[in-house]
Amino acid sequence: METAEVVSALMYLGAGIAMGFGAIGAGVGEGYAAHQACGGTARQPAVASSIQRTMLIGQAMAESASIFALIVAIMLIFMVDASGATVNQGVAFVGAGIAIGFGAIGGGIGCGFPAGSACQGVARRPEGQNEITTMMLISQGVSQTPSVFSFVIALILMYGAYEGSDMVTMAAVLGAGISVGMGAIGCGIGSGYAGGDACKGVGRWPANRGAILRTMLVGQAVSQSTSIYALLVAILMVFLT
Amino acid sequence: MEITGTELIRAAALLGAGIAMGFGAIGPGVGEGYAAGRACEGVARSPEHSGLLTRTMLVGQAVSESTGIYSLVIALLLIFFVKS
Repeated sequence: METAEVVSALMYLGAGIAMGFGAIGAGVGEGYAAHQACGGTARQPAVASSIQRTMLIGQAMAESASIFALIVAIMLIFMVDASGATVNQGVAFVGAGIAIGFGAIGGGIGCGFPAGSACQGVARRPEGQNEITTMMLISQGVSQTPSVFSFVIALILMYGAYEGSDMVTMAAVLGAGISVGMGAIGCGIGSGYAGGDACKGVGRWPANRGAILRTMLVGQAVSQSTSIYALLVAILMVFLT
Repeated sequence: MEITGTELIRAAALLGAGIAMGFGAIGPGVGEGYAAGRACEGVARSPEHSGLLTRTMLVGQAVSESTGIYSLVIALLLIFFVKS
């Protein structure tokens, strides 16, 4: 068995992990948004097109996390040259797959909550569609940041130069992927949860949207802190070892 | 590939650091978001109490954060103190 064969095998394994796990979050989140949109349409069939538009905008944001995973998987399959790569580099490809595969779960699920609440809010008060959509997009953006951290670490792992084949480097690149990938799950879901309730609040009490936005951003910032620790640990492992 | 004992220890420590921080971050993230969601709902309903609600939310989140900080401490210990 030659080194290039081992590296190719690890590359395909990384691609599978990236897309397989990366698809979970967006699927759940978009389904939740659709569920709420169906409920809203059943209650207010007259505003079905507004609800559907809000749902599609929200779902597009939720989709972006799994698109990162798709990009990494396609890059691993087609664009990375395995000849001349070392076993360390191959394990880094698996680390990249773990980083973005697990990292996309939280963002996808998290973006579903604001989208669902926004659909309900538009059903209840169609004239408030603009402010509800704005709140949805802000909260989804925050909820998506851990997936962006994971994407960055995945790219670093794919294009970093890892010479030789030693166990310490392999553990470091795998550990970096696990840290940032798993670390993104909770923060994405939690931020989305906050965003969902904020959208619900704007739907019902639009006059209070300034106070709601402030509280949401403070809460989401605290919720994001653990994913920043995870990013820090991943960066330490990628660059210091 | 020759694996020495010290390499094995260092490798296990680094993998362990990743697992500690990665899984350890799941809980606080979800929990703090849950608290923030309820706080948003409360502020939406009665914005005049937003100061009180934010304070309560932050205290609750700080407690929820503690396990994430334990994970960070253990991960940093594993990265920097296990040199063998």
